[in-house]
Amino acid sequence: MNQRIRHLTVALIALFAVLFVQLTTWQVVRRDRLVNDGRNNRVKLREFDRPRGEIVTIDGKVIALTEPVDLAANPNDKFNLQRTYPHGDTYAHVTGYYSLGFGSTQLERTMNDVLVGKTPQQLLEATGSLLSKTDTTGRVVTTIDSRIQEAAKAALGDREGSVVVLNPSTGAVLAMYSNPSFDPNLAASHNGNTVNDYLNQLQADTRKPLLANAYQERYMPGSTMKIVTTAVGFDTGLLTLDRKFKNERAWVPPDTKKPIRNYGQKLCGGDVAEVFRRSCNIPFARLAVEVGPDQMVNGAARFGFEERVPFDLPAAAASTFGGLAKDFADSLALLAIHGFGQGQVQISPLHMAMISASVANGGRMMQPHVVDRTLTHAGSVITSARQQSWKTTMSPTTAATLTQLMIGVVQNGTAACCMKLNNGVSAAAKTGTAQLNPEGETQRSHAWITAFAPAQAPRYAIAVFIKGVNDEVSASTGGRLAGPVAKKVLDVAMSLPESPAPSP
Amino acid sequence: MEASVARARRRTELGLVLLSAGITVAAYVLASIGEKASMPARIIPFLAFVLLLVIGAHAVVRVVARGADPLLLPMAAFLHGIGFVMIARLSDRWAGLQATWSLVGVVAFTATLFVLERPGDLRRWQWTSLGLGLFLLLMPMIPGVGFTSGGARIWVSIGPVNFQPGEFAKILLTVFFAAYLAERRDLIVQTDRKVMGIALPDVRHLAPIGLAWVVSVVVMVGERDLGSSLLFFTLFVVMLWIATERTAFLVLGLALFASGAVIAHQLFSHVQTRVDIWLNPWDQYTGRGYQPIQALFAMANGGLTGTGLGLGSPGAIPAAHNDFIFAALGEELGLLGAVAILSAFVLLVGAGMRTTLRAQGEFEKLLAVGLTTIAAVQTFIIVGGVLRVVPLTGVTLPFMSYGGSSLVANYVLLAMLIRVSDHTSQTLHEVPRDATPLERFTTWRLKRAAR
Repeated sequence: MNQRIRHLTVALIALFAVLFVQLTTWQVVRRDRLVNDGRNNRVKLREFDRPRGEIVTIDGKVIALTEPVDLAANPNDKFNLQRTYPHGDTYAHVTGYYSLGFGSTQLERTMNDVLVGKTPQQLLEATGSLLSKTDTTGRVVTTIDSRIQEAAKAALGDREGSVVVLNPSTGAVLAMYSNPSFDPNLAASHNGNTVNDYLNQLQADTRKPLLANAYQERYMPGSTMKIVTTAVGFDTGLLTLDRKFKNERAWVPPDTKKPIRNYGQKLCGGDVAEVFRRSCNIPFARLAVEVGPDQMVNGAARFGFEERVPFDLPAAAASTFGGLAKDFADSLALLAIHGFGQGQVQISPLHMAMISASVANGGRMMQPHVVDRTLTHAGSVITSARQQSWKTTMSPTTAATLTQLMIGVVQNGTAACCMKLNNGVSAAAKTGTAQLNPEGETQRSHAWITAFAPAQAPRYAIAVFIKGVNDEVSASTGGRLAGPVAKKVLDVAMSLPESPAPSP
Repeated sequence: MEASVARARRRTELGLVLLSAGITVAAYVLASIGEKASMPARIIPFLAFVLLLVIGAHAVVRVVARGADPLLLPMAAFLHGIGFVMIARLSDRWAGLQATWSLVGVVAFTATLFVLERPGDLRRWQWTSLGLGLFLLLMPMIPGVGFTSGGARIWVSIGPVNFQPGEFAKILLTVFFAAYLAERRDLIVQTDRKVMGIALPDVRHLAPIGLAWVVSVVVMVGERDLGSSLLFFTLFVVMLWIATERTAFLVLGLALFASGAVIAHQLFSHVQTRVDIWLNPWDQYTGRGYQPIQALFAMANGGLTGTGLGLGSPGAIPAAHNDFIFAALGEELGLLGAVAILSAFVLLVGAGMRTTLRAQGEFEKLLAVGLTTIAAVQTFIIVGGVLRVVPLTGVTLPFMSYGGSSLVANYVLLAMLIRVSDHTSQTLHEVPRDATPLERFTTWRLKRAAR
């Protein structure tokens, strides 16, 4: 019998040998293929439920955090941790959302490594305390000031549009709000159907609430574009302050028979200060043609047109001057129209705020950023925002001149109605009313204002954009509609202490 | 000299069971830290419980089977412990139940060793074993008592207790076959008729192989339990082959198996389904292929070194605590850990085969080889199923899977192997011939009466 038993032993060991070989096949030889299989979502699920750090405002308000799932209330929840956004839609376009199966957006996406603790510095810090309960998550401190952000949201009310507030000398985004926004809490739900339905509904919404309209969408700027045309005029030497423009009602530019008119078909003209503060169209159309296609396109490029704004949130829009130099050479009429911000010119509200910020900053346009610094759990700094200039939009002299012109707009120009700030703080502004339809059709127009304050020692630059979606908006002007919004926000901002915001 | 051999064996065993307990507790702590980043809540009671079980089982062996092979108990304790850690990591409720069953298992182990004084005693229960074994095997098919779960009708519900009688049937049928074959192997072998050059025994003596075939078919068709069917069939053929030393029986068995497999595949849709999932799981990922593919994903995720205990996603595999516990362990412990687990099985089977080889009586040899074959083949069927070496058929992984019947049955099986091993050592005069518990009790009573 023993010989057979030995044979059996060998046979059984052979069976186990097959198991060893096959085990190695799955765990080593064919491992990569299995791990990278699209259907293998275990890494994703595991990652999804990892502890995740907070996102806070510069003044210390928590705008995204991770909390333990209340298993008593949600017995079917497969996860331990729930991402929550305590302020609902107020910061949605800054934080983005963190969803199961639909990825993540904005800071939740770009700052993922910091939030879960995967940057080299955090990993190093974590190795020191392997078995202890140390939290390795990181914290993202944004440049957003909750007081200004909330003021922006309140001032905009239920009108569609965006408000962006910048620190002109650093490029820090202090507020960035767009209406409509969305509730990231629903997108972060652990219920797949809730997320799916909500995101589908947002996708289908023609107002594009999922898009951070303040920096991912672009709109016709209207007369706010005159800042650019004027700056290019001064810097090319083709415009001087003593220039007088003819008082006229209509002007037919070259290459067309269609006349250009002023807003409301008014008679308009005078010196540079007057036409700027009254926002006449014809002088700037003439100026654009005088400067010529090459210089105008180059000038716009100095302001960052045709380039993606170098923002630290994903997918920032690139503004456009609406054509190449040779297109305008073929049709100077088009150049004339673009000279006062009509036609194919398009700009994002963020970029618009950057334009007045660059005037306030002596012609240096700073790179906008929304992340002030990132911290390890222990509180040491991983990265901190660097103040970098992006463009030199104009000479300091031109900036000083434009500041005077923009003060004129507030004192007795198109914004005189609505931009007198509290406590006698002086502001500098330019309004815009972008007419979306040709003459004769039902008029729809966007309302814009871009401004900075205090005019002499600027602390804040702002752009307010109100979308021309209804008669109420379209019947009014940038000054009357966007002006009061800008005033409310700047009044709140100016009431804050000037010293750097307290560390959270 | 004799006593020192026993002492050395028990010392080895004690060291190894303490090591197993240590590994179990360490794994338990690591799993908790990995999962919740904190120490387990009840670590001291857990440590005490584990030590109570292993030291208790070891003490029983020391008292009533001190000549036994020192590897059998520690390997079982190691596998049991690692399996428990994974079950505890998957669900607190299962962990609680499994802990209760662990205690019951060790009690059954103790009882078996105490009651079964000599392996040969079982020969007297030959026909009882057959009757009880067949009854247990067929029990799930009794209406009102048996029920179907997970596609197989292998469960029995009596009062509040649900169990799988098949787990015990395989031990009883092994006892019957060992006794039957030890008694009649000469008769089966003796023959003067030859058909096509193959010596055929008397039809009467061929009854057992016929029975094996019938049992397998009943289990496969009536209970839809392919894994157990394969296990029974392999067990009987192997025992017949070892007993008769006739390769013809092995060939005949394999032929019957092959034809049976082909016919079953033709006739039964659940067999076709199993084979189809085995061959083309990727085509039915969202359906029946989901579970085996999740198991492959899990093991691939583990790679060479594993994700670490508490750091994988074993919950993503359906039935990870049960049929697929090996994949869950493969993920968290990696190839290195999975190889360690398989090696423990190899060592356990090796110790069983060593016991078989050393066993002196024919019955003892056949009993030991049968019990060892059950453990080995069952392990191969389920691990091979998870690894896609063979079609997946649901049997439990001995000592590791969640489930009371399986755990208790395997501890009984282990106790019987230990009993054979100890008996052999006594027969070979390696260790002193100890009085059995019953003899000790009788002596004590007589002494008391004489006083």
